[in-house]
Formats: sequence, C-alpha cells, structure tokens
Amino acid sequence: MKSNDMGLIVKTMARTTIPLIGIFGVYIVSHGHLTPGGGFQGGATIAGAGVLLLLAFGLSEMRKRYNHKVYSVLESIGGLTFLGAAMLGFSVAFFYNTLWHNGPVLNGQPGTLLSAGYLPIMNLAVGLKVFAGLVSALAAIAAYRRWKE
Amino acid sequence: MRRSLAFLSLLFILGVLLYVANPDYGLKFGLGGDDWKNMRYTDDYYITHGVNETGGTNIVTDIVFDYRGYDTLGEATVLFTAIAGAVALMRPWRGDEDEE
Repeated sequence: MKSNDMGLIVKTMARTTIPLIGIFGVYIVSHGHLTPGGGFQGGATIAGAGVLLLLAFGLSEMRKRYNHKVYSVLESIGGLTFLGAAMLGFSVAFFYNTLWHNGPVLNGQPGTLLSAGYLPIMNLAVGLKVFAGLVSALAAIAAYRRWKE
Repeated sequence: MRRSLAFLSLLFILGVLLYVANPDYGLKFGLGGDDWKNMRYTDDYYITHGVNETGGTNIVTDIVFDYRGYDTLGEATVLFTAIAGAVALMRPWRGDEDEE
C-alpha cells in the first residue's frame, strides 16, 4: 500500500495523453463562441486531465503538484472575471455586450476567433473556474481520511 | 400503509404526466411549420437575430452568456458553492492526524 500509482505502461500513456487532453480542452474553451462546447464543457475536459494525473501517478505525486490555495484563488479569479465581463457595459445594462456593439477589441467578423464581444472572455473565465473547482474537489476527495479496517 | 400511499401518489403523478405528454391533449413533439412559428417564436428569434446581436456563431453560447447571462451567473454560483461545500466537508477531522 506504499505506492498507490499505476504501472509503467499506464504512466507512460498518461504522460503523453495528459497534454493532448489539456490542449483539446483549451481548444473547446477558446472556440466556445464558434463551435459546440464552451466554458463548462471545456473546463470539465481539462479537469479530466487532472483526474488522469491523479489516477495514473497516485496521490503522492498529486500532493506535490497541487496547492489548494492556488486553485481556490484561480476559481475566484474565474468568477470575478465573469462578473467583470458582465459589468463592462454597465452604463447601458448588466450583461450588455458593449465590446461587440462598440468595443475596441473582439468585434471582428462573426465566425472569426476575435469576435463576439465578451463571449470569449466569459468562456475562458468559466473554463478556468470549472477546471479549478473540479480539480480541487477531486483532490479533497482523494486526500480524504483512509477507511478504518 | 404509508408506503403504499406514497406508491399510489407516485402512480397518480405518473398518470397525470403521461396525460399531459399526450400529443392529443397537451405537449406536442417534433414541431414544424406553423406550430414552430406559434409555439417556438423565441427560438425563432434567437436563431434569426443571434449572430447579428451578439456576434457569436454558436447560438447556444449566445443565449447562455448574452441573452440569459444571469442564468449562467447563477449556475457558476451553484458550482462555486458546491465545490466550497465539498472541500469544507472533506477536511480532516480533529484527531485524524494522531493515527497516521
């Protein structure tokens, strides 16, 4: 019971697939206003990479890489960025998409990456929030006290 | 006695829901043509004006983050509260450290 990680094959495969899962999740989040998906789905995908890290390398490796203060701050930053993007057009209304109607950036042709006003910002914020929240909840459950025999 | 009463009320609710879901009396499925214009005019508005008004080509994202942003804000709050509650309940108990 000393080492709670998986075998060599699983660890090698996890080493190659964790970056791929992360890149795919970031793709889903950043193209949320163009293709299916978005902040919640992409954040859950990136959190899947964290699940794979924990399962393949075990709790001891996760303890080294995971700092719960950093992750709680990341989740708060995600929520506050969401609120800040919602308040950008506060002179007209809450959740007024002022970046799209008369903003300096993110007002390109619909269908390009730099379009849709605050939607990419909100997608990134929600993706960060979901990723940090799911990983911290998973780490808390994994580090829960052992069963009493 | 109480369990059978609860089962009977569940059966009653199921019967009412089946009645409501019957296309002859209540909900209709697979709308098209005039039914679409009459009963799904909000969806029609979103599909027609979504790209011009918000700029995103993904209509679901347009609705979730722009038209109905309060809903997403509440959803994010629910997620935040759930994570905070789970992490707070999973903290080590007082005296767990003695045994390890």
